[in-house]
Amino acid sequence: MPIQIDKKKGFERKPIGWDGKTLKQMRQETDEISRLTGYYCGLDRLPFKESDPIRFEKIFSKLRGGVVHARETAKRVAASPIVEQEGELCFTLYTPEADSVVTSTGIIIHVGTMGAAIKYMIQNDYEENPGIEDGDIFCNNDCHIGNVHPCDVHTIVPVFWEGELIGWVGGVTHVIDTGATAPGSMTVGPVTRYDDGYQVACRKIGTNDTLHKDWLIESQRSVRTKKYWLLDERTRIAGCHMIRDLVLDIVREEGVDTYKHFIREVIEDGRRGFMNQVKTLLIPGRYRQVSFVDVPYKNLDVPPFARINTMMHAPTEMIIHKDGKFEIDFEGVNRWGWHSYNATPVSITSGIWVMMSQTLIPNDRVNDGAYYASKFDLPYGSWLNPDDVQTAHSYAWHFLVSAWSPLWRALSRQYFARGYLEEVNAGNANTSNWLQGGGYNQFNESHAVNSFESAAEGVGASAVKDGIDHAAAIWNPEGDMGDMEIWELAEPLLYLGRSIKPNTAGYGKYRGGSGYETLRMVYGAKDWTMFFMGNGYISSDCGLMGGYPAAAGYRFEAHGTNLKERIAKQLPIPTGGDTDPDHPQYEQLFEAREIIRDKQAITTETIFENYDLYLNYLRGGPGFGDPLERKPKAIEDDLNGGYLLPRYAEKVYGAVFHQDKKGHYTVDEEATERRRQEIRKERLKRGTPTKKWMEEERKKILEKEASIQVRHMYAGSFALSEKFTNEFKEFWNLPESWNLPEDELEIPVFGAKINRNS
Amino acid sequence: MEKNSQILAIDAGGTMTDTFIIDDQGEFVVGKAQSTPYDESIGLINSAKDALSYWDTSVETEFPKLLAGVYSGTAMLNRLVQRRGRRVGLIVNKGMEDFHRMGRAIQAYLGYSYSDRLHINTHRYDPPLVPGELTRGVTERVDLFGNVVIPLYEHEVEPAVRELLEMDVQAIVISLLHSYRYPAHERKVRDIAREMIKKSGKDIPVFASVDYYPVRKESHRTNTTIIEAYAADPSRETLKKINQRISEKGASFDLRVMASHGGTISIEANELARTLVSGPIGGVVGAKYLGELLGIPNIACSDIGGTSFDIALITQGDLSINPSPDMARLVLSLPLVAMDTVGAGAGSYVRVDPNYKSITLGPDSAGYRVGVCYPEGGVDTVTVSDCHVVLGLINPDNFLGGEVKLYPERAYKAVKEQIADPLGLSVEDAAYGVIDLLESQLRNYLESMILGKGYSPSQYVCFSYGGGGPLHTAGYTKGLGFDKVMVPAWAAGFSAFGCAAADFEYRYDKTLDINVDDGAADEIKLAAGKELLAAWEELKEKVGNEFVKNHFAMDDVDFRLYFRMQYQGQLNDLEIEAPIKDFQGVKDWDALIEAFEEVYTRVYAKAARSPELGYSITGAIVRGLVDVVKPKIPKEALSGEEPPKEAYLGKRKVYWKGEWTEVDIWEMEKLKAGNRIRAFSIIESPATTYVVPPGFETVLDEHRIFHLIEVD
Repeated sequence: MPIQIDKKKGFERKPIGWDGKTLKQMRQETDEISRLTGYYCGLDRLPFKESDPIRFEKIFSKLRGGVVHARETAKRVAASPIVEQEGELCFTLYTPEADSVVTSTGIIIHVGTMGAAIKYMIQNDYEENPGIEDGDIFCNNDCHIGNVHPCDVHTIVPVFWEGELIGWVGGVTHVIDTGATAPGSMTVGPVTRYDDGYQVACRKIGTNDTLHKDWLIESQRSVRTKKYWLLDERTRIAGCHMIRDLVLDIVREEGVDTYKHFIREVIEDGRRGFMNQVKTLLIPGRYRQVSFVDVPYKNLDVPPFARINTMMHAPTEMIIHKDGKFEIDFEGVNRWGWHSYNATPVSITSGIWVMMSQTLIPNDRVNDGAYYASKFDLPYGSWLNPDDVQTAHSYAWHFLVSAWSPLWRALSRQYFARGYLEEVNAGNANTSNWLQGGGYNQFNESHAVNSFESAAEGVGASAVKDGIDHAAAIWNPEGDMGDMEIWELAEPLLYLGRSIKPNTAGYGKYRGGSGYETLRMVYGAKDWTMFFMGNGYISSDCGLMGGYPAAAGYRFEAHGTNLKERIAKQLPIPTGGDTDPDHPQYEQLFEAREIIRDKQAITTETIFENYDLYLNYLRGGPGFGDPLERKPKAIEDDLNGGYLLPRYAEKVYGAVFHQDKKGHYTVDEEATERRRQEIRKERLKRGTPTKKWMEEERKKILEKEASIQVRHMYAGSFALSEKFTNEFKEFWNLPESWNLPEDELEIPVFGAKINRNS
Repeated sequence: MEKNSQILAIDAGGTMTDTFIIDDQGEFVVGKAQSTPYDESIGLINSAKDALSYWDTSVETEFPKLLAGVYSGTAMLNRLVQRRGRRVGLIVNKGMEDFHRMGRAIQAYLGYSYSDRLHINTHRYDPPLVPGELTRGVTERVDLFGNVVIPLYEHEVEPAVRELLEMDVQAIVISLLHSYRYPAHERKVRDIAREMIKKSGKDIPVFASVDYYPVRKESHRTNTTIIEAYAADPSRETLKKINQRISEKGASFDLRVMASHGGTISIEANELARTLVSGPIGGVVGAKYLGELLGIPNIACSDIGGTSFDIALITQGDLSINPSPDMARLVLSLPLVAMDTVGAGAGSYVRVDPNYKSITLGPDSAGYRVGVCYPEGGVDTVTVSDCHVVLGLINPDNFLGGEVKLYPERAYKAVKEQIADPLGLSVEDAAYGVIDLLESQLRNYLESMILGKGYSPSQYVCFSYGGGGPLHTAGYTKGLGFDKVMVPAWAAGFSAFGCAAADFEYRYDKTLDINVDDGAADEIKLAAGKELLAAWEELKEKVGNEFVKNHFAMDDVDFRLYFRMQYQGQLNDLEIEAPIKDFQGVKDWDALIEAFEEVYTRVYAKAARSPELGYSITGAIVRGLVDVVKPKIPKEALSGEEPPKEAYLGKRKVYWKGEWTEVDIWEMEKLKAGNRIRAFSIIESPATTYVVPPGFETVLDEHRIFHLIEVD
């Protein structure tokens, strides 16, 4: 048995891997044999499952049931509504070399991120120093090591059996504050990792199941919300230890060799199951789609090199192979930027499973098997694979949610072609706005807020029915908006409204799910700031097969209002929804020093006084099919239910209707059909042959006639990818000499390293 | 033959009305008749006639002797689920008119399987109980502390009420945010509405949420108050009619109704929506009562029916209560006996996932259609029952007492094609594997539920009942180390027995927000105690007033005081019986803390304790009970261990652990108290099949309860 010598300390540490190997050796062997054979750990057969499928299932269901139960029990320890009410926590069991075996419900994106953190520890010889021993507790939230954003904090514990490491358990919760430049878990404002808040890079924080004192002191002094931090940590540890007990229990029952074999087979089994699912539901081929989102930073209070208006670019090609392998190529994505929407490769790849588990693989078999059946191409230097450790990630989801929406369309085109019409989904909503901020709350405590009302956005339409209204978020299909009385415990913000927001759903034969909005009045706060976070200028999704995208965002805030005086006189005040922002009603019911209504839906900290107003608008989902095919009765219901403004019923749907004295709408079916015929004729008249349209566009491209944001975005893609540049030029038939380098744009190009143009 | 009938329990289902009548010796009869929804009393009397016919006696002879009657039924739940309730108008805060019709997104997937909860395209909302057009808003706002931030704009109330009256609403519900902290606004709206209704000459009830469910979480509170107006209050008339009809037949007791907290309440009770629930609670209440009689404080109740496996824990003689449960896909604020349900029963479908080659059990089920083995059921997917038939565990010619004939060859073929062949197993091994997997899942579930409460199975006695329970009892209890495992031989009537055994009990809850920091000064602790005491006093009066309706005096009522506590800032509290009866000094506060810390440590492990955060009392609860007649349980003289010959039905082949084995078959009804039955045996009755597999034996005790014993 090889013995490693810790040279610095001068004592011997026995390797903790199997058969006297180090973890690093195990990791290398697993990678190599999996790569060479095409099967996880070389398992071309599943002898255990094939010979005793019942026992295999029994072990699986015990593990899986136990992991889910641990999450349910542990979450009740937490104080944060994000964890307790919204379920933003997740536990996963790993092999010694950090492949995931089984995961709980919850934010399962972290199946991958915690695995990446463990792999990092293995790679950096933690086995030697600081040592990995039974009873140790590790913590990580460093994005570049393995995380989505710093507010997802991991607790990781090793599981030992008779001196040998048989696995790891990881637990993650979304904490409410990370001590970043501004309060709230997903701060707007950080442009480098040094603004992103407290980052813990795979640190040993406890031994013998006990947290170190220095860790407790330092960590709790590093964030604004100490109470939530410590209860979240206790939640994670409680869950990890429950799962560790469960694993040891199974090992005692089944024997350690059976367990070791089982965890390998279950991953290979997951790989095969995923490929079978792909073969059953999809069609081999290449599917291309794209999405964009806005980064309007020119006027934000950020360092000078970050003050630019730009966009993020996510072209994707989904490749379905005949053998069921699944591939996504992100060639053409643009450069990372000085904002907090950068992503890490592990967050993109893991996050895709979150989405897949809502449509392609909605079962309990999500583990690294699916990862081994997939391939992702993530260009280095781009926003999803930065080449600089400085990048900020506090709200990586801004573009993750946008970049995944096109993947729904890729899948849905295949479902549609195979006849699985019910499975079609036009895409996910941009899961914003994020109401965030902090200061002294109604209990006079230093506090941060991060409303998860955004966990209930509109859902994309299917090919047989409308998307469900205010119901889910791409990062959590078990969405919920929560009770107002609970949010008012967490936030010194009185509700003055919670309403369905008309026209937020994408129009279509089947419309998307509607969004909603809540109007909040600051009350009982002191030294309080808040900010907005969401898409404003761009709709980050897109309709499907003639359906429209969902509406983009905007902001409404009011400062220095006379609401207190109006309330004292019992005069009307703004309540309910901002139903038709083109014809605002709130402003008729109060006066203020400053009322802001604009498309700047991303802001940094603004001071809010009591009686100031903040509108939290949660987005809708995209639509499916030509709106002219929508049933008149459905339009009538939309009008009467407040889902649609009348002038859009006319303009988009061609509906002809009248309203009675009580305000009830009736759509005239025959007149509507006549009107629709006219609209179809108008469409034909307005249409341009594709070739002609392309010629006109080509001229604009040659002249570089596009807004600075668009040019900057494409320049960022061209700088990274020759392939994308060539395809672009070929498609638009551009001369060889045509080029769009970033440095001709006269805006700061700061920190760029990879550049094909230089 | 004349009997001494004592208690009548009624279970009025959608299609059949069952009655259970028990005499002073603990003997009982069960009657059945078709339900008569237009006048439930007709079906009830018919059912009672049927029951008493087994004793050769009549309703007219026996009803005057009855000392108590308990009703449970599904009429209210059906009215709710089918949206056939009253036309209710709703008054909420201005600006919040959409919140009820939006629902909570969680209601779009309540009751879904794990897979469908993830599968977003399957989510859907049910129609709201009150549509948007019958909702009005009035300006007012109270904050979480109960401070008035915006006074009630009284001038807006009148137009709101008027418009609802013009739209012919049949009831009005009022629900304003944080009204549980500051009831005055809701009550003001209520009084204005009542005044206007009176003036208009109409007779329409008004429900302010704070008068019913003064607890936090507006979706829960509002849904529950709406149900009160929408479905519960209309049911009161039905219950009164039934009460009247049985008194016409000579009964002299006040009819009580089974309620969600596991007690029974009067048909005059203020909060009748609590009687929405029925069904599985009866068994849990029965188990609790049986535990009281037999001196068993900790019981794990397990019940397998056609569609689900239900488990509930009784700890130190108390049921655990979920204060904000869901029913009929609605979040509610009723106290409900906490029950965990797994969608795995005898009728559950068994499938092999074509892509993952894994076995899935349920969550959907063939229910009364049994399985492929029952051609009349029209089922073509394998069920758990089909596996039972393949293995010989159930007698195809004596299922439900022979009422339903099963065809083993159909089950065999289906199991072969759908399960065995895809998995590469023999038909018998596949069927056995399904049962093995089911029992293993149930065992894990039962264990984790007990461990999750901070206990171990060795501290509990497991009760197994329900038609499908005893078949699997050995399988799902094996190796868990329960103190005892008990199977009542009278499983068929167990749920009805439970209803008959329920306490006459009211339970009222109130939300509190009392925060006391760690190491707070004595006067703060005293003030906190006083506030808690005041809440208890208020609730005691409320409970007492309910009993007054049935002519009990305050002194007759046995009050039990509870509180809910958490560390400051947490969102989950624990319900704890107060170790004190009154609050007099700081030491009483310390006693409350000590009780909390003890429970917390047990449930969440010591490492999760957080006393440095300080404590919050989040609720006060008062339970009040009065004495009522309870059923006797059967008692027989003990015979020897050897079972009588006439109980022996012969042998049957059963496939067990890889081979066909000859198994002894016994008739449950003919076994005598004291008999010991050794493995491998199957004990049959028309209502259930009880399996005693190798490694077990069973003894029937003097109360006709089987004790299942692991022998190796």
